[in-house]
Amino acid sequence: MAVDTDLNEDSPENSAPPIRKKRASPWRILKPVQTQIKLAMAISAGSALFGLAVMLQLMMVIQHLLAHPETVPWLWFIGAAICTVAAYVARLGAFNQAHYAAFRLERILRIGLAERLARVSLGYVETQGAGALAKVIHDDVKALHVFVADSTPLYARAYVTPVVTLGLLIILDWRLALVALLILALGYSILTRAQKQRRDMVRKYNTAREKVSAAVVEYVQAMPVVRNFDSGKTSFGRYQDALDGYLTVMLDWYRAAGFPARFSWLVLSPMPTLTLVLGTGLWLTSLDDLSVSRWLGVLLICTGMAEAMMPMMMLRHMIEKVTLSVIRIEEIMNAPELQHPSTVEPQSRLGLDPSAPALQFDNVTFSYGADLDPALRDISFSVPEGSVTALVGPSGAGKTTVARLIPRFWDVTSGRIMLGGHDIRDMTSDQLMEQVAFVFQESFLFADSIAENIRIGNPEASDEAVIAAATAAQAHDFICDLPQGYDTPVGERGVFLSGGQRQRISIARALLQSRPILVLDEATAFSDPENEAELIAALSALMKGRTVIMVAHRLATIRDADQILVFDKGQISERGDHDDLVAKQGIYARLWNNYEQAQNWSLGGTDADRTIAQEEPAQ
Amino acid sequence: MTTETNTPPRKQSATSFLTTFRQLAQSVGPEAAPGLRRSLAGLILAAALQGFGLAVIAPLFTAAIVNPDIGHALYWFGLMAALMAAASALRWFAQGFDFDGRMVRATWRLRGQLGAKLREIPLEQLQNKRAGELNSMVLGNVDENLLYALTVLNLLFTAIVTPFCAALGIALFDWRMGLLLLLIFPTIVPLYRWRRPALGRGKRILGQAHQDASADVLEYTQGLAILRAAGRAGEKAERLSQTFHKLEAIQAFGHRKGAKPNIIVASIVELGLVIVLGIGVWLVVSGSLHPATLAAIFVIVVRLSEPLSTFILYTAMLEVMEAALERIGALMATKPLQQSHPMQMPSEFSIQFDNVDFAYAQSDTTAISNFNADLPEHSLTALVGPSGCGKTTLTRLLLRHFDPQQGSVKIGGVDLRNIPADQLNSLLSVVFQDVYLLNDSVLANIRMGRPEASDEEVRAAARAAQCLDFIERLPDGWQTPLGEIGGRLSGGERQRISIARALLKDAPIIILDEPTAALDTESELAVQRALDALIASKTVIVIAHRLSTIVGADQILVIEDGSLVQSGKHTDLHAETGRYARMWAAQGAVKKWSVAQ
Repeated sequence: MAVDTDLNEDSPENSAPPIRKKRASPWRILKPVQTQIKLAMAISAGSALFGLAVMLQLMMVIQHLLAHPETVPWLWFIGAAICTVAAYVARLGAFNQAHYAAFRLERILRIGLAERLARVSLGYVETQGAGALAKVIHDDVKALHVFVADSTPLYARAYVTPVVTLGLLIILDWRLALVALLILALGYSILTRAQKQRRDMVRKYNTAREKVSAAVVEYVQAMPVVRNFDSGKTSFGRYQDALDGYLTVMLDWYRAAGFPARFSWLVLSPMPTLTLVLGTGLWLTSLDDLSVSRWLGVLLICTGMAEAMMPMMMLRHMIEKVTLSVIRIEEIMNAPELQHPSTVEPQSRLGLDPSAPALQFDNVTFSYGADLDPALRDISFSVPEGSVTALVGPSGAGKTTVARLIPRFWDVTSGRIMLGGHDIRDMTSDQLMEQVAFVFQESFLFADSIAENIRIGNPEASDEAVIAAATAAQAHDFICDLPQGYDTPVGERGVFLSGGQRQRISIARALLQSRPILVLDEATAFSDPENEAELIAALSALMKGRTVIMVAHRLATIRDADQILVFDKGQISERGDHDDLVAKQGIYARLWNNYEQAQNWSLGGTDADRTIAQEEPAQ
Repeated sequence: MTTETNTPPRKQSATSFLTTFRQLAQSVGPEAAPGLRRSLAGLILAAALQGFGLAVIAPLFTAAIVNPDIGHALYWFGLMAALMAAASALRWFAQGFDFDGRMVRATWRLRGQLGAKLREIPLEQLQNKRAGELNSMVLGNVDENLLYALTVLNLLFTAIVTPFCAALGIALFDWRMGLLLLLIFPTIVPLYRWRRPALGRGKRILGQAHQDASADVLEYTQGLAILRAAGRAGEKAERLSQTFHKLEAIQAFGHRKGAKPNIIVASIVELGLVIVLGIGVWLVVSGSLHPATLAAIFVIVVRLSEPLSTFILYTAMLEVMEAALERIGALMATKPLQQSHPMQMPSEFSIQFDNVDFAYAQSDTTAISNFNADLPEHSLTALVGPSGCGKTTLTRLLLRHFDPQQGSVKIGGVDLRNIPADQLNSLLSVVFQDVYLLNDSVLANIRMGRPEASDEEVRAAARAAQCLDFIERLPDGWQTPLGEIGGRLSGGERQRISIARALLKDAPIIILDEPTAALDTESELAVQRALDALIASKTVIVIAHRLSTIVGADQILVIEDGSLVQSGKHTDLHAETGRYARMWAAQGAVKKWSVAQ
């Protein structure tokens, strides 16, 4: 982009402390590799100084030759050659140091982010989205590279060169120095005009760009739908609108800042300075007021000041570009960690109180955010050992939230959750996980072999134990049909297996973990109804002899649960067993009615079909 | 990890500036190409003039110092100033292509064309690309490669043409020094040729490493809940950190490899210049060159050394630009599905599958083999079978997301390939399992079913689809943008909006792809009512897993491995001992299951 610059680093609006603190600075993120970056910058500055030394020595070569054209000025010439090499080697060294520092920083940040995510609440992971977090760890960290590796050495040069150059120019000839300075001032003043409404422009530009990006994603993702409905006219219109908006912003920008930007580019390019200094020098020489060698010296270095402006502009632009990435990285780095007890020995086994209920919610209130209404209000219930408790209710009533508080996706806002008489916040996550196994609706597999995926619950488990778990989970048969049996890689996120097969592997995993309490979060919302029968057999095996808390849609499956908790708007509105609740004629009875109706519906169904549907599946 | 291993064979190094220019001209389109050509010519000429202008310093210095002759010196100074001014003016004119907004307009046009292209390329090919990839193509590539093209080329010309012309100019004045400087160029060219493919190789290795790391990161974040539940987050994090260490090593390796050609070129340039200057000193000492001329050559050479030694960096940018332009070109070259003649619209809406064979482009097994079926007008046909058996492929064939390799799909006896592409869509409505709502108002989302529908008609469709109650509860009612609150609508509510859309469209053929599979009971009931309104007097194809929902179908097609294995009404199929009866029995058993067993 031709039109962006902001040279006054320390303009008042920037240096006001509160604003500065709030604005994420890419410099701050360099901390882990600070020393190496500083070294790179120092070497780079050194390279700039060597470069200037070359110029002075070349000047001396000519001075010597003018005075004694018959002898070679070995001293100066060799000095110039050595300094050339030194400048070059230093520039390279700075470049390398900065790059290695950048690579190291990427690694440090990525590991730091991954470790942070292992300690924050899972709720945070869920609200941010796994994809978005992965993008930060990979893409945003990668985006830092240009800044760390390429800009930092440039930065040192861009500051050292003009300052030293100005000093040398004044020593050589103050009048010519003034000429160079005047051109610089002219270019700079036009530049400041070019950047007048810059913030505003950048904001507009970013917004327009984001709109285009969103429109493209929408346009592409919705393509099957939009093609069917309007051959893509509507969303194409929206896409085109976004493009038009972007065009307008860009054209406005060029109109507003184009001329000054272009003009300052022209003025700050080396040629005008060189030409004017030459002309002035010519005039002064003709007046015999300037020695040839000084004139030459000035000509060799005079463009250094104006030339430093360009890299500084680029640098500004780069810093702005990475700032968003820095903000996102720091956001994760600052995400609150789950509190862990400091008093408990991490390795010690917990003495559970056998007389206490296996699991107990004590006046639990929970809200997803300080400014949000509580998602759960004053929930109390207890689950005796070996019993089955079902959580039902309309969507959004809070049942899934209850299930997810147990593995501490989040911590309660008030009240407490007790496990065998201990507050779960007083347990280490290892201790908690020794007691509770979870089967989620989404069964996630790692890009590893099937056996390893089952073993995740229990890394030391023998092959026999793995096979036994898989057999109980009704997975053994289909695993044996796979080309490499238990050693078959499941592919990225288990793509080579059907939903039902993945679910049974995750059940085998839970079986192998063999923990006394089991939380099922909609595990019966079958993703692959073809395998329903096997899945149910697997779940039955898993639930046998365990204390179970389950969120269920299919009310028929929980008819025989020991306790049914009916949730409505974040509260338990009814509790009891199936028969009691149906008799009550409350929410549960309504849900049950709806459920039966939905089960008996058939597409385009007549009354005659309804009868079939009602009778036959229930045989 | 299933990262792509078969990177397409890339044309090696042979590509030249001319190819790049041709690609550029193609991308900006015929409207802007002449302007672009003029602008590039202007930049080259400006760079050349600048080079000659620099060369003038030599006679200027000689005139001013050797036998001081101010008139002569002024003449040379005038020439230099004129050349510099001309160079600046030319460059100003050439950059007008950027600054007048012509380049931005060209990218705007190109994006519009890309968008239009996306609408007509076969969906099968479109869905092979991820949305993010296309986004970076339409937004990133277009921007970064076209908008910066002139800037990069300008730098490149200043790095190559200016030094070359300066050397030529010096040669006119002092042929020995000029020739020596010119000698540096032939040594750079082969280096440049050698550098380009090496750069590509390094990029590919690094790209692969990044792709692997990115996949590992995603697996980690997605599996975090399970890892934590298993108490193994730390261990997996360990493995992840190994991946990161590996990535760092590859980066460092790639950096060393990639920097090498750069270092060599820069060393040769710097060394070459030092030698040339050394020879200049020797010429002065031997009396055949005046020190003042050498001084001028110092000034010129110092100006040229940096651009010349860094020009390789610009060629790297050129390389990236070219790759992107290539990708854009490939997308633009994708052919739409063929339209057969004569074009014809069906007069009734029965559906026939005639001996259809179909295999996906990236698969070696057939998805559908020798499939025959006849779906009478206004009938309800259900497709059942295990997941992956080809049910959805059949509906996609009907939607013409792709064409069968053998046989044909017909509506009312007319082959789909003879039906004009934009009109085929008007015959079909689909309700998908995954609802996609646009980031627009509720009203607009429903109205896209029939853009010319009146508000009353939209309302009626929403009412029939059981949407009214929740729409009126939304903060801004009909005008509520769904992008911001899309997440607050339940699955059932989203599904009902999509049904309202289909109702409004009122197409004669309806395809239902498991529309109730993802819903909770209460939503399901409402969606079921909405569906009943939708399918009245239509030709309907439904994919259903729960068999009880399709017992009323006029025809049930049982599909296994892409072939039809059974067909008939529920009562007939249920009586036969076959696949259908087994599925029915299994689902009956499931219904009876409860937690106490």
